[in-house]
Amino acid sequence: MRVEHLFNKNTHSWMVMGRDDDRRKEVIDTNQYLIQHNGRGILLDPGGVENFAVVAAEFSKHFDLADVEAVFASHQDPDVISSLSLWIQTNPNLIVYVPKIWVSFITHFGVKLENIRPIPDEGGFITLGGHDLEVVPAHYLHSPGNFSLYDPQAKIFFSGDIGAALLPEDYTDLFVTDFSEHTKSMEYFHRRWMPSNAAKMRWIAEVRKRDVEMLCPQHGAIFKGEDIENFLTWFENLDVGSGWSSVR
Amino acid sequence: MSENIYTRKMGEEYDIVFRQCVSLNTELHKLVPLAKQMHLLSSNAVSSAARAGTEGDAFRVLTQDIQLLGDEVSHCISDTQKVINEIVTLASHLARSFSSYIIYLDLLNHLDEKTMKTSPKYFESGQKNVVDDIRDNNNKLSRCLGTLSNLLSPVSTLVKKGEYLAVCSSVEAASAGEHGVSFEAVATMLRELVGQLGTQSTRQSSLLRDLSDAMEKQQQNQRNLMYAR
Repeated sequence: MRVEHLFNKNTHSWMVMGRDDDRRKEVIDTNQYLIQHNGRGILLDPGGVENFAVVAAEFSKHFDLADVEAVFASHQDPDVISSLSLWIQTNPNLIVYVPKIWVSFITHFGVKLENIRPIPDEGGFITLGGHDLEVVPAHYLHSPGNFSLYDPQAKIFFSGDIGAALLPEDYTDLFVTDFSEHTKSMEYFHRRWMPSNAAKMRWIAEVRKRDVEMLCPQHGAIFKGEDIENFLTWFENLDVGSGWSSVR
Repeated sequence: MSENIYTRKMGEEYDIVFRQCVSLNTELHKLVPLAKQMHLLSSNAVSSAARAGTEGDAFRVLTQDIQLLGDEVSHCISDTQKVINEIVTLASHLARSFSSYIIYLDLLNHLDEKTMKTSPKYFESGQKNVVDDIRDNNNKLSRCLGTLSNLLSPVSTLVKKGEYLAVCSSVEAASAGEHGVSFEAVATMLRELVGQLGTQSTRQSSLLRDLSDAMEKQQQNQRNLMYAR
């Protein structure tokens, strides 16, 4: 298990937790992120019931989780938020930001409507301790209701499943170390999971409008520096929605 | 006994309770077509009594009794359906809450108080909420089982009443000669239906007893687990 600070300046910080070697091997590895600002916290894609205990125990070493006031779910998948009811049982006042179209689906995880703040299709802002985080639409990448989250202060762009990689077991780095090699772990995932080239191009244009120093996916390694543009160019040229033909 | 053994035993008991609820649900659903057949029988009795003409006065009295019996059986079946649906939902909530309880135990085992910035009380409150849910659902489930038992207990009386009505119908049909032929068919159908009702009600009562026993064991294990902590 790795927990590291990605950004830490004054009262603002980003932490990532990933590479859980103790997880059952059939469970996909996930990255969980915690943003803190002025003593308030928000969890990004906090993970499934399977890793709730580990995520909560690890983050609790670095931050008082009683100060986590919200959870952001990029989309509805079980590896993203099936742990929600456990987080809410621990803090019944927790606010959960989810794509609007998934509200009635997410309530199947045992979440009550009073905790949910639906995110409109056009995105918007989430305010954490007086600091605005920008919610950027990423629909159809892969989910039909899907968002990324950009932090202008840390210049970190949380991309959810975009940029995700199914890494080999012996890959322990939190960051991409060899981009060309890394594409081998990303290609099938993006061809298979991402259905729309048009949506892809819109999202890439949105990322390029912003000043980004790190691009953080929910699975696999984090992109920083020139690897961000490497990824955007690679993704731009990839014909997504085509992965199914290889398994027919 | 160690906490782990109680936890495992409780998990097994929840499994048993849930499976027994589902079996009881399946058995109780078999009563639904029986209610429809009772309704059909009432219609047959009415038309048979009408066919007997002036000779059918006794049939008309019996028909009224058969209709009343049919209504009572239908009400009983419809009430049990509502309760069993609630029982299955509660059993499934209990199983889910218990999974959460296990996850919290796992979490508390992962915590290292020396290095923590979060107070363990924060997580203990989550676990307490789960335990409260379990207690609440357990109590509700016990109450529902009591209600179901009360709903099913008059069935044996209804069966006896039906058997008696079937005998009376046969006697009246025989004494009416050829006018009573179609009412004899009604008597036969009534005998078959109450026979089925009797058989099913015996099976359901036995399942309900097993379920109540399993609930008691599970509640005992739950108490043991709480004391073990």
